[in-house]
Amino acid sequence: MNLRLRALVLWIAVALAAVAACRSESAPPRFPHQLHLAGMACGTPGKPACLSCVSCHDVATHDSGQRMPGAALCARCHRDTHQVQAVLAVAPVRLSGEITIDHDKHLAMPEIRGQCVPCHSGVVDAKQPSLPPMSQCFSCHEHSEQWAHAQCTPCHEPEKLRRTMPSTFLKHDTAFLRHHGSVMAERQQAQLCQSCHTQAQCQSCHDVTQDLTVEKRRPEQIESGQVHRGDFMVRHAIEARSQPARCLSCHTVQTCDACHAARGVSANVANPANPHPPEWIGTNTSSSNFHGTAARRDIVACAGCHEAGPATNCIRCHKVGGYGGNPHPRGWKSARGVDAEMCRYCHD
Amino acid sequence: MARVSGRLRAIAPLAPALLLLQLWARPSNAEEPPQADPKAQKSETPDRFSVSGRSETYVQLYRRALVPGQNGQVVPTEVALPVHEYLFANARDVDAPWQKDSIGLEFAAWGRYWPTDSSMERPFDGDVQTASIRLDAGPAWTRIGRQQVAGGAARYARFDGIMVGARHLGLFVEGYAGFTVLPRWNAQPGYHQLGSAEDTLLVYHPAAPLRGNHWLAGGRLGYQTSHVSGSVSFHDEQINAGVDRRNLGLDVGAQPLEQASLGASALLELDSMRFASARLWLDTTPHPLLNVGAEVFHAEPALLLSRQSVLSVFSTDGYDELGGTVTAKVLRWLRLDTNGFVEAYHGTGPGARGELAARVATGEDYPTILRVAYSRVIAPQNGYQALRVSFSRKLSRRIGTTLEAYGYFYDMPVAGYTTSSVYAGTASYQPIDALEFLWSASVAQSPYAAHDAQTMLRVSYQFDAAAKPRFR
Repeated sequence: MNLRLRALVLWIAVALAAVAACRSESAPPRFPHQLHLAGMACGTPGKPACLSCVSCHDVATHDSGQRMPGAALCARCHRDTHQVQAVLAVAPVRLSGEITIDHDKHLAMPEIRGQCVPCHSGVVDAKQPSLPPMSQCFSCHEHSEQWAHAQCTPCHEPEKLRRTMPSTFLKHDTAFLRHHGSVMAERQQAQLCQSCHTQAQCQSCHDVTQDLTVEKRRPEQIESGQVHRGDFMVRHAIEARSQPARCLSCHTVQTCDACHAARGVSANVANPANPHPPEWIGTNTSSSNFHGTAARRDIVACAGCHEAGPATNCIRCHKVGGYGGNPHPRGWKSARGVDAEMCRYCHD
Repeated sequence: MARVSGRLRAIAPLAPALLLLQLWARPSNAEEPPQADPKAQKSETPDRFSVSGRSETYVQLYRRALVPGQNGQVVPTEVALPVHEYLFANARDVDAPWQKDSIGLEFAAWGRYWPTDSSMERPFDGDVQTASIRLDAGPAWTRIGRQQVAGGAARYARFDGIMVGARHLGLFVEGYAGFTVLPRWNAQPGYHQLGSAEDTLLVYHPAAPLRGNHWLAGGRLGYQTSHVSGSVSFHDEQINAGVDRRNLGLDVGAQPLEQASLGASALLELDSMRFASARLWLDTTPHPLLNVGAEVFHAEPALLLSRQSVLSVFSTDGYDELGGTVTAKVLRWLRLDTNGFVEAYHGTGPGARGELAARVATGEDYPTILRVAYSRVIAPQNGYQALRVSFSRKLSRRIGTTLEAYGYFYDMPVAGYTTSSVYAGTASYQPIDALEFLWSASVAQSPYAAHDAQTMLRVSYQFDAAAKPRFR
């Protein structure tokens, strides 16, 4: 069995196992709110008192942990403590942390009139989330002042936002990743993004001087758009040629050379391994392998090994009077004169 | 020394301006809404602050060959067992005498211990990534210390210095200056390896950089409302021999409709007066279950090289990229993600890249996610097809697992091989909310390694302390 077929078989096995695992997944049981609120006989002689939301939830408290009922409250009616514990264990998880909300104030508003369900529609409709999404809040509140100052923290606790991404505006989708630098630049640098993010989080990806890449540090983030996942070592040359400017978002060409030099594939080491094809250097300028064509198209790739400032071996031939000819492309210009320090290496 | 003095003189005029900006921004002059009586306010809105710390310890184990073997060549290998420690700490909304919630602190650093023999790494290594304090005063703020500036003309730069900013009626202004954080001594070959194996190979030994010759300064002027925002930025970065980067940036964005936003950015390289990069993008949500993005991008990579690079004046060729992304929530549990881009390189044929992915997610509180993605990249000289299967399952609130498989099929052989595959998995356990253990492992077959096995243990500890928030 050749390598390709073996890999294909393994993948299919992984995919099938994953699908099987998904199928076996069953959603955690939800608390039967509807049964408690409208499905029980109550309020008549011999029956328990009718329940409302506030019978179990202390919405007036500002400690979110106290808003959920404890086992003792359930035990007034239910004697099966194991069942009670199991049901309480499936309390909804708000991934973005608790919202700082004044329930009393909201319930007293004429638009709400003491009704919990319009916001918490999930308690009667299993297809809806138990906790309202942020768009529900924004359907009434514009929060214009907070928006103007780019403050998430009046409602969100910053530390609880650590594992959450915006889902209703400034959505951090695939497209956002591509232009997040521009989004950041057009707004106040230290406001909107840093409501949730620290500078260290930017550096997780952008600081290439650190030893561990973000892909190594966050292997469990299978959905994030980390560039170097998988077998990047082998495909990095293809990626660099595909989008020559993209590597320079984080790396300098010295980053390339540091690695290439260590592996002996750099113009900056003695007796380097030559990766170039035949006719790379020579007089046959019409050859498809001729280095000048490749250099024009992707000079950054050249810089990966040949970047040595004025000490680069390119100017051995391309300096004024050298047989390599004028390397400047048509239309090239510079604000510097030929007496500038760097220019003098060729124009002296 | 004369050069250093000259550059310091160049920075000097900025200093009074920065100080004036900060003084102008004192609360007494601020245009903020009048504050309520402090006593009454205290009873209604108690203090808020947050302090958090995080420690991440990584222990890796793998065997490596620094020089890939070609054509089956046996190469020397070494076992690596590096231990890394990352530390983060930050505090927000700490009260200052002049204003509530006006001090922020941030610190991030990492260290490494390399206990096994290595021809490249030192036994101990490390760096401070961020160490800054931020002070707010009315509509203005100042940040001092090791920090970063990102976006616009600066692209991304780290420096030790000061950044100030202020806002008023939607307008905002920011300025910064400081000494560039240089690559660590072992991140560049040549002047820093101090006798390591690589240094013996080098024929080019650049002079050791003088910290005083590496500085940067810049600023940004912008306008921001809830629907429109934009800024013009300038960045000047100097290195030993002169200008490293000198750019002008323009970034604008707008959200004319709730379902659509668009933006544009451009980076003008001021030495050659050419656009190093320009981008125009549109993001729309025509239906609540459909997100469509389109983008046009142009770049001249040579203009992104240092102005002190000889190679930067050898080319003005660039490339254009056109493409977009589509995300469709087909079913409650099924989402399709696609993207496709076509590149037009000046002087050679076109390239393309794209991905089609299906994401299945079941379960709400403890979701199970399966993602299958097919990618295709066509680039000059070579390209590849890739298939990636990712699976994540949260077994309980405390236990999670992931499993991934990657396969690559190269159009042209790489080192004589046309395929590579990687299998990776993680398992995590959180005995308490603050503590998490994560174990990961990967196995790969690639043109560079017949069998590559790596494993890592990560221990994370999170410390949070926060005052109860407002609106009580």
